[in-house]
Amino acid sequence: MEAADRAEQFIPAGLASLRIEADEVDLAVMSAAHQMFWPAIRALLSLELGDLEPERNPDLSRAPEKA
Amino acid sequence: MNPLDLSLRGQAAAIAAGEANAAELLDATLARIEERNPAINAVVATFPEESRSMLAEAPDGPLRGVPVLIKDEWPLPWRAQRFGAAELLAPTAPGESGPYRALRDAGAVVVGVGNMHELGAGSTGNVSVYGAARNPWDTERCPGGSSSGPAAATAAGLVAGAVGADGLGSVRFPAAYCGLTGLKPTFGRSAMAGHHMEAVTTLIVSGPLCADAADCRLLGSTLFGEELAAGAASGLRIGVVRDTVSEDVTPEVDEACGAAIEALRTETGGEIREIELADLDAATLAGILIINAESLGGVSPERLNDLDPGISPINRGFLKYRMLLPAAAITQAERVRTLMRRRLAALFEEVDVIAWPTIPAVAPPLEAPLVELPSGTQTADQANVRGAALANLTGIPAISVPVGFGSEGLPIALQLQGAWGADELLLDAAEALERANGRRWVDARPPLAQAEPAGA
Repeated sequence: MEAADRAEQFIPAGLASLRIEADEVDLAVMSAAHQMFWPAIRALLSLELGDLEPERNPDLSRAPEKA
Repeated sequence: MNPLDLSLRGQAAAIAAGEANAAELLDATLARIEERNPAINAVVATFPEESRSMLAEAPDGPLRGVPVLIKDEWPLPWRAQRFGAAELLAPTAPGESGPYRALRDAGAVVVGVGNMHELGAGSTGNVSVYGAARNPWDTERCPGGSSSGPAAATAAGLVAGAVGADGLGSVRFPAAYCGLTGLKPTFGRSAMAGHHMEAVTTLIVSGPLCADAADCRLLGSTLFGEELAAGAASGLRIGVVRDTVSEDVTPEVDEACGAAIEALRTETGGEIREIELADLDAATLAGILIINAESLGGVSPERLNDLDPGISPINRGFLKYRMLLPAAAITQAERVRTLMRRRLAALFEEVDVIAWPTIPAVAPPLEAPLVELPSGTQTADQANVRGAALANLTGIPAISVPVGFGSEGLPIALQLQGAWGADELLLDAAEALERANGRRWVDARPPLAQAEPAGA
């Protein structure tokens, strides 16, 4: 319920700010997606990665250069 | 044997040796598609005139005269891709894509376009503007996605090989569900030109779906534009991870994959090493976030307010939800990518391959693509992506190899992942696994592929 409550606030506000229209079915799908992804996104944002900086324009066909 | 039922390399060799007539093979392939496709909805377009023109002009390449299917993800000179959807949110037009050119230059004949999960956004193949594709092993089951049609068509013997695409497992899932071998190449090694996301994607690659590793080597060499030389895979150091990807799987998947890993070790005279690979959940989410962000290029709110009504409700809603993803999470996802690439680079100093199940459970029903796992009931998409995203996120190659059947007669598959550029080693390892189990799983055919046409 808690996650659903957040979705009820977050999704309509986000859509309104971007002027994206949504019907009831859209909102139901988005609510389900939000409940699935949002806790994981919060966990991702909380992941402590120290001072790790992302590779700049990494060549994904090769191993990374040594940090 | 009917040339239609030969392997991809067998068809190529038979034509080269004058033992099979390429024009007759093309006609027979088109007839078989007409005969068997209604049961699986794997092929969404054929174009006999264009296919015959390709054959007439085919150079004397390694696939001369061999019919191949291509996923609805690249344009052909006579047909734009539809991406399995009522509309594509990116500009699209007929043209010579990279995979098309690679096939043409190898002498292959593009015989049709394969169905796919709508917008590439699913691991099951049960949602498509063309209608769901069906699994030849049980037509009430999902064939896997998003390369659903290429896999189902190859498993049902409509063609001996097909070109798919893999952005978060989309070659490996359908290969696993349909009992095929599927290679997700190292990022950047296989032909991608003409894909509507080519300029922005850092995850999607083209890849072959075939019955076995030798056919994947042949079709892969075509897509790579270089020969994928065979080796021995001796003394293979096999890394195994004790984590959700290997443990939250059904007992029959656990048993079959465990036996396959041990068989691979024995066959190669290698060893099994338990390894640590932390933050796999974060890596999975990072892959999902990045591919969703990349696919938003050029998508405006106005565009989303004017979607074709033929787009499925689930993708309509999710397309709009994508717009709300926080930029900070995308940035963090890129940091996770760097973290996992560095960890993998270190791990591949200790092991040659990392092995875990491609899919945690066999193909679920089309009507309700859910899987029952030790952790509980999950959507197949949620469960499948956990084992696939790492390779796309980091760029490493991966291969799915059939290793058994579940109690319902549906295929089970093992995934092997290697270091950047180790595509050849993965094919070698897959061939070693085939030898180890007497080719029992790669030579198995679904009932549909054993059927003879009425009156034959």
